[in-house]
Amino acid sequence: MAGNEPSRRRFFRSALVTAAGVLGGGSLLQAERLLAATGLDPDDPEVPNEEVARILQRISGGKPIRRGHVSLDMPLVAEDGRIVPVIIESDLPMTDERYVKAVHLVVDFNPDAHLAAFQLTPAIGSVSISTRIKMKRTTWVRAIAETNTGEIWAAYTRVQVTLNGCG
Amino acid sequence: MNPSIGEARIRVPDRVVQGDLIVVNAIISHPMDTGFFRNADGQPIPAYFIKDVVVTYGDREIARFTWTSGISRDPIVSFTVRADREAPLTMVWTDNKNGVFKQSADITFASA
Repeated sequence: MAGNEPSRRRFFRSALVTAAGVLGGGSLLQAERLLAATGLDPDDPEVPNEEVARILQRISGGKPIRRGHVSLDMPLVAEDGRIVPVIIESDLPMTDERYVKAVHLVVDFNPDAHLAAFQLTPAIGSVSISTRIKMKRTTWVRAIAETNTGEIWAAYTRVQVTLNGCG
Repeated sequence: MNPSIGEARIRVPDRVVQGDLIVVNAIISHPMDTGFFRNADGQPIPAYFIKDVVVTYGDREIARFTWTSGISRDPIVSFTVRADREAPLTMVWTDNKNGVFKQSADITFASA
């Protein structure tokens, strides 16, 4: 993963919050309040739209979604939105006492934003899942891991989509 | 030649040592239609996609995936398994028209 990722993401986030504030005709505070209301990490790159906010709420049960322990590997640019490779990994333990019980993949502006859920057990030994997905347009993608002890960890990555793969 | 819908393959390593963390690769042939596209005659193509995948190892369910039509055509998925015993790894894919497709691969240990 590129070393400048966090600062790049922070820049995107602040730019998006600013844009949301300006476009919404309201103050910056409004966007910040929306972020706070969803219980998200202030590091969250993108102010979630209403549907994504609902999905995140359902996944997290209102618990804070913290960034870390999960990696989401996707191309920076997806030429063809019909086939975009995804690799989700985590360094969280997979033992009988402590394990990741589910990994969720959320693509903010897809028709079905909650694209996939992977329910796991300690028998899989590690979180290392790969697949291929469709993307409608350029947006952030969220990988969210839920542990059996109730912790919620996430990774975010922005993918630029050239060809709409969702119709 | 296109494989028919539901034709599936699962690949596991053939030289497994007990306790290894192995990688399982699976692919199934399926159109994964979103319902948003039209055919050449302008008729909408109805949504047709795999919505549920169950993975069992021996007699134990070890993972279950919930998918939408956002997974690409001919879905592939890979994941790991802790190979702690010799048993078949079975996957059952179910689509939104109640098509059920099953495939399995044996996890066997290499003899020392």
